[in-house]
Formats: sequence, C-alpha cells, structure tokens
Amino acid sequence: MRGPYRGLQDEGPYRGQQDEGPYRRQQDHFPVRDRDPNLPLRNLPLSMQEKRKTRDRRQQQRLSIGCWESWWQSQRIARRRLREQVVRTMCGLQPWRKALHTIEGKFGVGVKAYFTFLRFLLYLNLIHCLVISGLALTPVLLYGKHNFTPGKTPASDLFLLTGFMDRSPVFYGFYSPVPLKVSCLRCCLSSPLLFLLAIASLLTLSIIMVVRRTVIGYKHTWMLGRRYNHHFSYKVFCGWDFCTQVPESAVLQHSLIRNDIKLVLEEERFHQHVSQRTFRQWVQLYFLRGVLNFLVIVLLSASFYLIYFANLFSQRKKPKLSLLVEYLPPITITMVNFLLPHLFRRISGFEDYSLTVQVNITLVRSIILKLACLAIFLYSLLHQPRIRSAQCWENQFGKEMYKLVVFDFLVCCLNAVLVEWPRKLLVERYPSSSFLRALGKPTFLVPFNVLDLVYSQTVTWVGLFYCPMLAHISLLKLLFVFYIKKFVLFRCCEPAQKMFRGSQSSVWFHFTLLLGLLLTVVVLGINANTYPPSSDCGPFADNRTLFNITENCVRILPDFAQKALRFFISEAFALLLIFVEIVFLTSFVSQGRANRRAIEGLKDILVMCSADKRFLVKKHSACLRTLKTSLSEGNGEDARRMEAVDPSEIQPPFTRSTSAPCGDVAFQQGGVAFLTGAKPL
Amino acid sequence: MGTTASQLQKDLLSEYQELTFLTKQEILLAHKRFSELMAKEERSSPSLRVPMEKILTMPELKSNPFRERICHVFSTSDMKDGSLTFEDFLDLLSAFSDSATLEIKSHYAFRIFDFDDDGTLDCGDLEKLVNCLTGETEDTRLNPEEMRQLITNILEESDIDKDGTVNLSEFQHVISRSPDFVSSFKIVL
Repeated sequence: MRGPYRGLQDEGPYRGQQDEGPYRRQQDHFPVRDRDPNLPLRNLPLSMQEKRKTRDRRQQQRLSIGCWESWWQSQRIARRRLREQVVRTMCGLQPWRKALHTIEGKFGVGVKAYFTFLRFLLYLNLIHCLVISGLALTPVLLYGKHNFTPGKTPASDLFLLTGFMDRSPVFYGFYSPVPLKVSCLRCCLSSPLLFLLAIASLLTLSIIMVVRRTVIGYKHTWMLGRRYNHHFSYKVFCGWDFCTQVPESAVLQHSLIRNDIKLVLEEERFHQHVSQRTFRQWVQLYFLRGVLNFLVIVLLSASFYLIYFANLFSQRKKPKLSLLVEYLPPITITMVNFLLPHLFRRISGFEDYSLTVQVNITLVRSIILKLACLAIFLYSLLHQPRIRSAQCWENQFGKEMYKLVVFDFLVCCLNAVLVEWPRKLLVERYPSSSFLRALGKPTFLVPFNVLDLVYSQTVTWVGLFYCPMLAHISLLKLLFVFYIKKFVLFRCCEPAQKMFRGSQSSVWFHFTLLLGLLLTVVVLGINANTYPPSSDCGPFADNRTLFNITENCVRILPDFAQKALRFFISEAFALLLIFVEIVFLTSFVSQGRANRRAIEGLKDILVMCSADKRFLVKKHSACLRTLKTSLSEGNGEDARRMEAVDPSEIQPPFTRSTSAPCGDVAFQQGGVAFLTGAKPL
Repeated sequence: MGTTASQLQKDLLSEYQELTFLTKQEILLAHKRFSELMAKEERSSPSLRVPMEKILTMPELKSNPFRERICHVFSTSDMKDGSLTFEDFLDLLSAFSDSATLEIKSHYAFRIFDFDDDGTLDCGDLEKLVNCLTGETEDTRLNPEEMRQLITNILEESDIDKDGTVNLSEFQHVISRSPDFVSSFKIVL
C-alpha cells in the first residue's frame, strides 16, 4: 500500500487493507486484533473485506465450540444490540439538543456547558415539582377542607403576597395536617410526615446528584491533573470538531483554536516571567496585592452592611411606597451582586496573575459575595421582630424567598431588554463613536451567568420548606431563562476571544452548586433546631419541634424496630461507622499510592525499552555496514557469518534484565494499555 | 426510497448493519448520497470507485481541513488516489458515527493525523496537524517560535517512552482521557 511501511513491518500498526504483499504478513504480527471473539466485528478497525474474512473465521471457531456456548454468544450479541438501541432512543428524548448543537458550533464548548448546566437544573427542579406535588400537595388537596378560592383579587396581591396568596398552596401555611384515609402501618403515615419526607428526600437527592456530577468531572481533571497533564495534546488532538459543516463556523473554529493555543503558550511564558522576578518586584507586588485584597474586603463588608440595613429598613417602616420598600432587600442584593463582580474583575487585572488565575480569583470573590449576601440576609431576617412575632413566621420567611426568586427573574429579563439589546444596537448604529467602540458588543460571560443560576437555585432550596411551590416557580423561571439567554446570546453577543474550557468548567459549576446546597442545609438545620414551628398554621401546628412527628411515628413501631432505630442513632453505632470508614479510606489511599508507584515503574520500563530498541537498530545498521564493506572486499564467508548474528543477542549497556522482551512493540503497547486501563487494540 | 431499497439487496443491507455502527436508515441514506456522486449509467456496478475530488464536494467534508487525509485513510484503492467504493464509504461513516467506540475513533484519528503514513506522529506530522487546525495561510499560522514551543510541550506530555514520536498506544492513552473527543469526532449525514 504505502512505501515507508515496507521497511517497518514489525512496527506497522495499521490494518492490512490488501491481500497481497507485505500486508498479508502484517496481520501475523497483530494477532491481538481478534483476540476476543465476542468483540463485535464493527469494533475492529478493518476494512469491510477484512471484517468479512474475520467473520468467516469466527463462524468456523463457533462451530467447534458446541451449541450451548454459541447460543449464549448470540444471546449476548442480541442483548447488547437492545441496550444500544435503548441508549440511543433515550439520548434522542433530551430537550434542546439542536439548540445546544448550534450554540456549541457558534460559541464553543464553554457556553454550551452553561446551557447544559441550566438543563441539569431544570431536570432537578422537575423532580422537585413531582415529589412535592405527589407527597405534599396531593394528600392535602384530596382529604383536606381548604378555603382556597382565588376569586377577585387585585394584581398587587401577586407581588405583595397578601390576601389569597397567603392562603394559597404556594406557602407553608396551606399544608395543615389532614387525616389520611389509608390503613397501613397502624396509621403511622400522616400528612406532616409526608411533607417532612418530601423535603428531606429532595435535599438528599440533590446532594447525591450534585456530588455525583462533581465527582465525574473531578476524576477527569484533578486526580490525574498536574501529574499527568495533557493540556496541549488535548488542544491539538481533540481540537477540531468534525461536525462543523458551515464554512463560516470552520473559519471561526480555526481562529478559536489559534487564539486558545496562543493563550496557553502565553501563559507558559508568563510563568517563566514570574520565575525571573527580582526580590524588590516581589515585595512591591505583594504590597499591591495586600492593598487590593484589603479593598475587596472593605467592599464586601460594606455590601453586607448595606443588605443588613436595607432589610432592617424594609421590615421596620410601612410608608406609602410599599411595593418598593417590600422589595428593597432583593433590590439591594441584586444590585450588589450585579456591580461588584465586574469591579472584582477589574481589580484582579491589576494583581499581575496569569489569566486563568485572574478568572478563578474573580470567581472565588464573587461566590463569597453571593452566598455570604444570602447568608447575611437570612440571618437578619430571622432576627426581625416582625417575623418572629408574626402569626405564621414560616409564611413570612417563604415570602421573602419568593420575592428573591421573582425579582431575580425580573432582573434577568430587564437586563436583556434594557442593557444588552440597546448596547448592541448602539454599537451597530454608531460605529464611529470611540466610546462605543471601546465598550464593544457584549460577550457572554459564562462564569457570572453560572453564578446567577447557582444563586437562584440556592434560594429555591432554602425556600423549599417554607414555600413548597417555589420549585414549580423556579421550573417555569428556568424555562424562560433558557430562551432569554439564548436570545441574548444569538442576537446581542459576539463570540468571546477566550474560550472557556468545557470539561474543567463543569466541575467548577457543580462545585459552586454544592456550596450553595451546603448553605441551604446549614440554614435549614439551624431553623429547625432553634425556632419552634408556629402554633396555628402549617403541618407541624401543635408540635413543640419539627421532629415530634417522627417521634410519634417511631413510638407506634414494634419493639424490636424501635430498639434497632435507637441503636442506629446512638454513639456506639457512630463510632463503629467511623471506624469502618477509616479502614476503607486507608485501604483506598494505600492502593492509590501503590498504583501510582506501579505507573511510575511501568513508565520507566517503557522509556528503557524504547532506548533499547533504538540501540538495537543502531547496532543492526552498524552490522549491515560492516557486512557491506566486507562484501565489497570480496570475503563472502565472513559476510554470511555476520548475517547469522542475531541483533538481539548484543547486550545493550543499560538493560536491567536480558529476559525482558525489550524492543518489542507489542510489549510496549501492552504496557501503555496497562497504564490507560484499556484493552490493547 | 423504494428504488434505493431495491438497489441494495436485503441480505447485503443486514450484513452492512452487522459490520458497521450504522442503522438501516443511515445505510440507505448513505447509499442514496453515494449514488448521487456517480454518473447515471455507472450506478448499477457495485464495486465502482468514486474519485476523491467528487467525494470532497460533499458538504459534510467540504469545510473539514482533514478531508483529503480522511479519503486516503479509508480508501482501499491500489493507486493511492483516495477514491472510495461504497463499502469504503460505509467504513468511513461507521467510524465517524454516533455509536462508534472510542477505540475505533482514536485508531482512525491517529491514522488521519499520521500524514506521512509511517506509523508514528513525529515532529513533521505534528506541525502539519497544527497548521491544519489553525488554518493554512501565512497569516493564520503560528510563528516558528510558538510552533517549536507547542511541539515540545506536546511531546513532553504524550511521548511516554521518550523516543521523540507519539505512537498509536500513546495517542490512545491521551485520547482516552479526553471527555470531549468522542462527541467531536463525528460526521453525520
């Protein structure tokens, strides 16, 4: 087929595409191709003709292995086909596949990661909706006597949350205990218990889902991260997206890849520059960074105080402008969250970090800002006399969460219509204005948009207990947000100059979401343990604490079950659990260490084998050269003797053992395959 | 549709389904598209080769910088002219299909990137590869200094046995860690 392969038959890794010539023989060097007869034929990298031949050979083998086993093999093939079909159909059912594909083609993997994250949150909220509707809402609607009639209500009720909204199923007060007409478990099942179960299971489920997704990405980036870094190789080997069909997007992709490579190279040069800084420069730099960090802390504390003050003000006074005052805390939080991250972005530019560090440090500061703002707000809310003394403080608390979610959505809409859209129009209309040119078209800032999503999801989780239908509201909100953001992206934004990396960023998104979830759990835990439920509203009306319900339930259980439960919550069991965990963790850590050492060893062997191989090739060519010279001298006898010398008998100076099949390509491939954990092809 | 189905015999169709990652609809569509590339009177002969120039006019390959390499890799022609028979074309689509495995995809990716067909990716191959990625023209290329730095970095990361080239198993080792490769190495008709 091709010239160079003729000389390198032992190394030729490719399929034999033709029957004649050296490629017939090449197959003998690769018996690995068809080692596993259960491997589907299409998984072999062979041409159609070769696959046919392999199939015929397999059929002959199958005839010789007996009918039971051949039946079993064919069953296995059928099952695999069914599984593939199911997976393919499931993938086809996911929403927005086409939209995501277009986004990926036009704006790169990073922006697509944002939209995939949004879709994940949508799924999460859909599950929340189903569970809340099934476990909390349905029993009350079926068996309860509720006076929930919307009738004629002023529109301001929807925003001020008075009147009928107060009694609607949106808030905690609606879910008063109802007798369930089911006779099981000696009537241990009650509607408050179901309510508690719904919330607890949702939080647990969220934690599991988010942790799982974080860990999947984490495995890809960090665990093998610094030690086995493949930054550049990924960019080059996996850089081109073969789906690209439109010539314009191909041009765009060329420039994105070029910019990305240049950026990484520049980053490397920056690191070299860092290592050449003098002591004096270091001192100056640290002083500057110290001052800027102090500035950041001052900004953060100022904004915290502002939020606290706004909250105090809105709770204390009741003037005429009630709608504005009602929404003062959300307005303050949103304004602070809108302005400060951009300020942080500017500040980090002065600190002389590399670009990646700049992005990350801005993100860390913004996350601290967002979550801490929320925490401060919740803290000040719970210490309000108005809320503490309200008839149903849970409803009041839920209302504040409702306001935060609604206002966040309003800001998202207004930002699209009043900021991004006019900005793009202005830039297009007056291209000569130097100010507008400097401002430029908006770009889609993935990190900040993700932070917005994380913030709104955290509010939803915190409010879930006090305003159970917040999940439904957030589901609708996310649906609209998707289309609004898509509009902003396609109509207003231009592709960013810097690509946000897909696989790494998704870990980051889920990690911040996990932080939000932790905040939620802490807040709900404090609330449940510190404040008794209101005495005349909600599912836990006549209980001292939330957990009276579960206690009552346990008391009805049979004796041995009670004893078992007591044991599970005792210290003895906790100690046992910790001990078992320690044993497991220790074994995993030591296993990991051993594996790492094995990897290092195998790498050493690979390097050595390749050195041996090169040495042998050199020796061989030297032999040939002496052979030629002796031939030209006309001494045929000597030449034949030289030919008989096997090159592998020559001992290279740095081989550890002679028995190792060094220089053998198959061995090398096996070694690398061991490293990757993949089957040798 | 009826005519295409009759042109491809039933047993041949099921054999193609067994030997490739394609579904029945995809094979029929591929047959239709492939017949369109041939002249009317040629369509009856099954093992006819379509020259590379015609294959490259397909919109799926038109804007791909590796289009000629792809044709060369999948061609079984003795002439090394990159011409494809229908079965070669199915092989191509199978390797680039949604359901092809990582191993198949990485194997063919390696062959596509191995410009001089010597079984390893050496500096020359890597340079050509990077030029294909960034654009071939003079002003889109990386400058020699950047190119040298990039290739050194790639070899430092991927060349495990330190012989100055990236071989197939090293390449697959790198690719297997990339979460984005399978989704991007795809051509769907």
